Amino acid sequence: MRVGIDIGGTFTDLVFLCSDGTLHKRKVPSTPADYAEAIIHGVKAFCTEQAMPVSEIAEIVHATTVATNAILERKGARVALLTTEGFRDVLELRRIRIPMSYDLDWQKPVPLVAREFRFGVRERIAANGATLTPLDAASLEPVFQQWAASDIEAVAVCFLHAYRNPQHEIAVGQLLKRRFPALRVSLSHEVLPEMLEYERTSTTVVNAYVAPLIATYLDRLREGLGRCGVAAPILVMQSNGGLISAGLAAERPVTIIESGPAAGVVAAAQIAQASGHGNVITLDMGGTTAKASIIEHGDVLRASEYEVGGAVSVSSRLMRGNGYALRIPVIDVSEVGAGGGSLATVDTGGSLRVGPRSAGSVPGPACYGRGNEWPTVTDANLVLGYLNEDSLAGGALGIRRDLAENAITQHISGTTRLSLHEAAYGIHQVANSNLVRAIKSVSVERGRDPAEFALMAFGGAGPIHAAAVALELGVRTVLIPPAPGVFSAYGLLRAEVEQHASRTVLTSTAATDLTAIATAYREMQTELIVRLEREGYPASRVTIRYFADLRYRGQSSEITVPMDATEINTDALRLVEARFETEFERSYGHRGPNKDFELVTCRMIATVIRDSWQDARWTTDHAAAASRQQRDVYFGRQHGLLPTPVVTREALAGRAHQGPLIVQEYDTSVVVPPHCTAALDDHVNIVLNIGTA
Amino acid sequence: MERKFSSDPVRLELVKNGIGSVVDEMVLTVVRIAYSSIMKDTMDMSSAFCDRHGRMIAQGLSLPLHLGSIPDAMDAVRAEYGDTLAPGDVVVFNDPYQGGMHLPDIFMFKPVFVGEHLLGYAVLVAHHNDMGGRVPGSSAADSTEIFQEGLQIPVLKLYERGVPCDTLFKLIARNVRVPDTVIGDLHAQEAACRIGERGLCELAARYGVETLEQCFDELLNYSEHAARRTISAIPDGSYTCTDHLDDDGITPNQPVTVKVTLHVKGDELDVDLTGSSPQVRGAINSTLSFAKSAVYFAIRAIMSSDAPNNAGFMRPIHVHAPVGTLFNPRRPAAVAARGISGFRLIDAMFGALAQAVPLKPRAAGEGGTTSYSIGGRDTEGRYVLFREALMGAWGGGFEREGIDGVANPAANIGNAPIEMVESQAPIRVEQYEFATDSGGAGKWRGGMSVVRQLRFLGEEATFQLRSDRRQHPPYGLAGGLPGAASNNLIEDNEDNNGWRQLPTKFTTRLKQGQAFRHTTAGAGGFGDPRERDPQQVLADVRDGKVSINAARRDYAVCVLASPWRIDQAATAQLRNDGSTVKYDHGKR
Repeated sequence: MRVGIDIGGTFTDLVFLCSDGTLHKRKVPSTPADYAEAIIHGVKAFCTEQAMPVSEIAEIVHATTVATNAILERKGARVALLTTEGFRDVLELRRIRIPMSYDLDWQKPVPLVAREFRFGVRERIAANGATLTPLDAASLEPVFQQWAASDIEAVAVCFLHAYRNPQHEIAVGQLLKRRFPALRVSLSHEVLPEMLEYERTSTTVVNAYVAPLIATYLDRLREGLGRCGVAAPILVMQSNGGLISAGLAAERPVTIIESGPAAGVVAAAQIAQASGHGNVITLDMGGTTAKASIIEHGDVLRASEYEVGGAVSVSSRLMRGNGYALRIPVIDVSEVGAGGGSLATVDTGGSLRVGPRSAGSVPGPACYGRGNEWPTVTDANLVLGYLNEDSLAGGALGIRRDLAENAITQHISGTTRLSLHEAAYGIHQVANSNLVRAIKSVSVERGRDPAEFALMAFGGAGPIHAAAVALELGVRTVLIPPAPGVFSAYGLLRAEVEQHASRTVLTSTAATDLTAIATAYREMQTELIVRLEREGYPASRVTIRYFADLRYRGQSSEITVPMDATEINTDALRLVEARFETEFERSYGHRGPNKDFELVTCRMIATVIRDSWQDARWTTDHAAAASRQQRDVYFGRQHGLLPTPVVTREALAGRAHQGPLIVQEYDTSVVVPPHCTAALDDHVNIVLNIGTA
Repeated sequence: MERKFSSDPVRLELVKNGIGSVVDEMVLTVVRIAYSSIMKDTMDMSSAFCDRHGRMIAQGLSLPLHLGSIPDAMDAVRAEYGDTLAPGDVVVFNDPYQGGMHLPDIFMFKPVFVGEHLLGYAVLVAHHNDMGGRVPGSSAADSTEIFQEGLQIPVLKLYERGVPCDTLFKLIARNVRVPDTVIGDLHAQEAACRIGERGLCELAARYGVETLEQCFDELLNYSEHAARRTISAIPDGSYTCTDHLDDDGITPNQPVTVKVTLHVKGDELDVDLTGSSPQVRGAINSTLSFAKSAVYFAIRAIMSSDAPNNAGFMRPIHVHAPVGTLFNPRRPAAVAARGISGFRLIDAMFGALAQAVPLKPRAAGEGGTTSYSIGGRDTEGRYVLFREALMGAWGGGFEREGIDGVANPAANIGNAPIEMVESQAPIRVEQYEFATDSGGAGKWRGGMSVVRQLRFLGEEATFQLRSDRRQHPPYGLAGGLPGAASNNLIEDNEDNNGWRQLPTKFTTRLKQGQAFRHTTAGAGGFGDPRERDPQQVLADVRDGKVSINAARRDYAVCVLASPWRIDQAATAQLRNDGSTVKYDHGKR
C-alpha cells in the first residue's frame, strides 16, 4: 500500500492506494502544533478500520507547507550570512523594486538575516572565474568569535561569481565544518550554481533558514511512524513536481517549499494525457487562494524563479517584492487571492470587489457561524444553490444558509440595490474574473490562447466555478477529475522521483570551443546519478533530459528549451537555437533582428523509471447520496432560479446529461450550468462540454 | 456611500479588471522582448488605453512618474491626425515641446478599431537607450539646447496601414549610437501595442462597443470621485513649500528653486508652481506635462482608494506654471535631465501636503534616481553603452519606519545585477552597501544612503551622471532630522587622499582602471529622535546602521557593547538633560 499525504491549514488529506488497486480518501483535522501528529493518527485510524497491518505500507509520499509556514510566520532558524567584502547588504537591497505603486504605507519584508549577522569576507572572484583577491581566512576570525557567543543555528555563504568558481566557498565550507561541526551550512554554489547575486543569496538564505526546522520535522515524522510500526521510506514532493527522499529534502529544503500545489499539477498532467487532452490549464481553488498552471503536450511548464512568503494580491508577474526571492525550478503557478473564503465588499466608488482579503478557514465564511458576518464567495455559492444546503466535506462541517443570506443582504444588496440572488451572482462573477486573471497570467502572458486548452478544475471550490470561467475564456472542455477535494494528496501517488541540476555557463552559442558546455552537462550528469544511486536507484533506471536556457545576446531573460543531445556539438546547438527562436516568436510575435545567441544556463532533469501507474479505482462516495435530489439553483438574470437535479458522479455514466445539474460529491460540488452538458469518461473524469450561453 | 457611478456594479468591476489586465500585459510584453536593460530590467515605461475622445481610461503597471504625461501626448496625436488614422497605423513622437517628456522617451500610439468604429488608442511610452546627441544615453544634465540632446521626432506615422515607414526607421537607426537595440526596442513597443489592440477588441466583442464606452464614462467618474474625496479631506486653505535643486547642471552651487503652493477649496485643488526658478541653462527643465505627472503622483500617493489611474482622477486638479520657468520652459531649452526636477517637485508637494495632512506623507526620500551612463570601448575595441539608476531610501512617516534600500515610489525601477554588469560591460563593481549614520534621525528613522563603487576596465569612456541632494539634503518632518547628503568621488592619484570630488551633475572622461564612487542621499526622519524607542536604536546600532556616537548625539540613547545593551540610567539622564541639543520642531 502507498499513502499520499497533503497537509493544509485546516485539513490533512490522505489518499491510500491499496494493493488491490482501490483508492481511499480521508480528511483529518490538521495539528499545527506538530503536523506529524495528524498524519500518524490518520494512517493508524485507516489501518485499524480496514483491519490491515501497518507493515503493508510500502511508501509514504508527502507534501508539506511546514517550510512555507516557517517563512510566513518568521519561525525559521537564526542564520548568519557570509558575503564578499563590500556586499554585505545585497540580501537587504534586493532588486529594490516595490510591488505596488502609490502606497506610502508599504513596508518592505524584513530580511531573513539581520545586518548584524551579515559579514563581508575578503575575497573576490571575477566574472570569468579568475581569482582577483585570494580568500583571507584570517578575516573570519572576529566573526567566528562573535558566533561563539551567539545562538546561530545555520550559516549561508554566497560569494560573487561562485557559480563560476566555487573554490572560496568550498574553502569556507571546510573551515566552518571544522570550527562549528554542529552548524548547518548552505553554500550558494551547491544550492544554486547560477548567476545573479541577489537571487542566489536569497535562495541560499531561505535554504539555511528552513533547514533545521525541516530536518526536525522529517525526523519526527519518521520516528512517529516508526513507533507505530511503519518502516516505509518517506518521499517528499519538490516545487518542481518531482519526488525526493526525506533525507535529500532535509539537505536541500529550499526545493520542497511549494510541494502541495505542485502535486496537484503533476496528477493533472498525467490524467490529462491519459484521457487524451495534451493541453490543459489547471485551476486549483481552495479556501483563500486560487492557483492556475499550464500543461502543454502533457508537460507541466516550469518557471525558474518565484517568491515565497509574500501576501497574494495580484497575479501579475510584475508585482514582485513582497516576499523572498527563490530561483529554483518550480511548476509555474499563478496565484490570486480568490478562494471560498475571499470577502466581498462594495467599495466607495460603487464597484463590487472580491478579495484579496479572506476570512480564511477561521473564522471562515459567514455560513460557518463562527463570528464572520461579511459575505464570502462560499456564502454566495451557497445562496445560489451551488453547495449542499446544510453541510460541507461530507457532513463534517455544518453550515447555515440563513447566515449567508443575511451577510449578502446586509453588506451587498443594501448598497447596490441588487436582489439577494443578483448580489450573490455578482460575487460569483467577480470571483470568476479574478480567476480569469490568474489563468491569463500563465497563458496569454506567455503567448498561449486559453481557448486551445481544456480546463481541469479541482480543490474544494474549483469545480463550482470551472464552467463559468471556461465560458469567459472561450474554453470548450472542462475536466473534473475524481476526488477533486483531495487531489494534491492523490497527485503525490502519481509523481516520479526526480532530481534537477543547473550550471550557468554564459557563452555564445557560436563559440567554437564547446568544452565549457560539455563539462557542465557531464558534471551535472555525474552529480545526479551519484545522488540517485545513494538513494538506492541504480543508474540503469534513470533517464536524463537535457535543457538549455537561451537568449538573444544583450537581453536579460531566457527561455528554457529541451536539448536532445547526448553529445554536445554544433548541430545540437543549432537545434536549440531553432527551438529558442520558435518559442520566442510564439511568445512575442516576432524574432530578434540578429542571430546572436547566448547559452546562459545548462539544465538537466534525471527521472527514475518506476512501475507504471495502474489505473486504480476509487471506492464509492456514499456521503453525497443522502442529499436532496433536486433544488432551486440561480444561473443569472437570463435564467433566474431553475429547478435543478442533484446527482452523483456515478449517475452521469452512459451518456451526456444536459445542464442545469449539480453533481454533489463528498468534498465539493460540480456546477453544470444550463448551457453545458456533463458526461463521464473512461477514467471517471466528469467532462463538461461548454456550449454558448 | 455618497454616489454611485454605475447602473451595474458587477459589470463595472469586470470591465475594470479586463482593461487593467490588457494594459498590464502590454508592459509585460515589452519586458520580455525588449533588448535594452532600461526597458527589461529597469522597466522605464508606461502603457495606457485612451478612448476615442483621447481620454485616458487606464494605465498599466509602470513608471508612476509617467502618470500625467499620456493625456498631453494623446492631445498632440489627435491635433496632428484628427480622425484620419486608419487600422494598422502606428504613430510615434518624442518631441518634448509637442507633448513629450525628453527625447529618449518615445511615445507610441496604435488606434484600435472595432470594424469601422474607432474605439480608442493603445499607448506605450518607453525610455530608449540612446537617441543620439552629444552624450551617450542622450540624458546629460549639462546640455544647453535641445538640439544637443539628440534626434527630435515630431508626431509621425511609423506604420501606415500596417506598412513600416522605412524612411523613419532608417533615419532613427542612423542617428542613434546603438541602432540594433533601439530598433529592436521599437519593435517591442509595437508588439505591445498590438497586444493592447487585440485585448481591447476582445473586450468589445464580449461587452459590445456601446456598453464598453458607457463603462469608460463610469470608470472616469469613479476615479474623479475618488480624487475629489481625497481633496475634500484636506482642510481648505493655501499651503506653500519651497525646496531646492543643488544646481542646474552647468553652474555648480547655484541652487534652483522649486516652489509649490496648494490652494484647496472643497473638492478642487489648484497647484501653483509660480515662484519656481525661471528656466535654466542646463537640461533639468521640465515640460508642463511632466510637472503635472509629479503633482498627480503626490496626490495619488495620499489617496486611499485604489481607483484606476485615468483621466477622471485628474479632473479636479489644476496645475499652473508660468511660461519660461523651470516647469514650463520655452523651446529650445534642454530638458533631458528633467527627471530630477520632477522628483524635487514631488518632494515639495509632500512638504506642502505635510502642513495640511501631517500624518499622510513621509519625510523626503533620497530625492530621485541617480542615473548615469558610461559609453566607450572595451579592451577588444567593442563599443559598450552601460546605463544604471541608483536608489534609494524612503523617509520616516507617522507610525511608519523609513525604508532602507528601495526604489523611489515615483520611479519604481530595479537595480542592475552585479554579476550581470560584470559579465556584459567592462566594469567591476567594488561595493554596494549602506552607509552608516546616513538615515535621518527621527522617532521613525529615515532610510539609509546606498554606496556603489565601480571600476572601469575598458579603454576609455565618456561618463555622464546626474545626481542631486548634496547642498539640500532630504528634509525630515515633525522634528525628524534630514538624511545624509549625496556625494560623487572619482579616483585621482594626484589628489591627497586618492579621491577627488565631482559636482552633482557632470560629463567626464573615465580612464582605464579608474574607480568611481557614488553615495545616494539618505532619507529624512519623522518625529523627534529623542522619542524613538531605545530598543530600536539599539537594534540599529547592532546592525551597524547607526553608530554608538550617533545614537548618543541624535537619539540621546547610550548604547554599550559586548554584550550589547542600553545604559538605562545614562539614557534617562541624556533624555532629560536640557543641555543636550533640542531640535526646533517647526524648522526643517
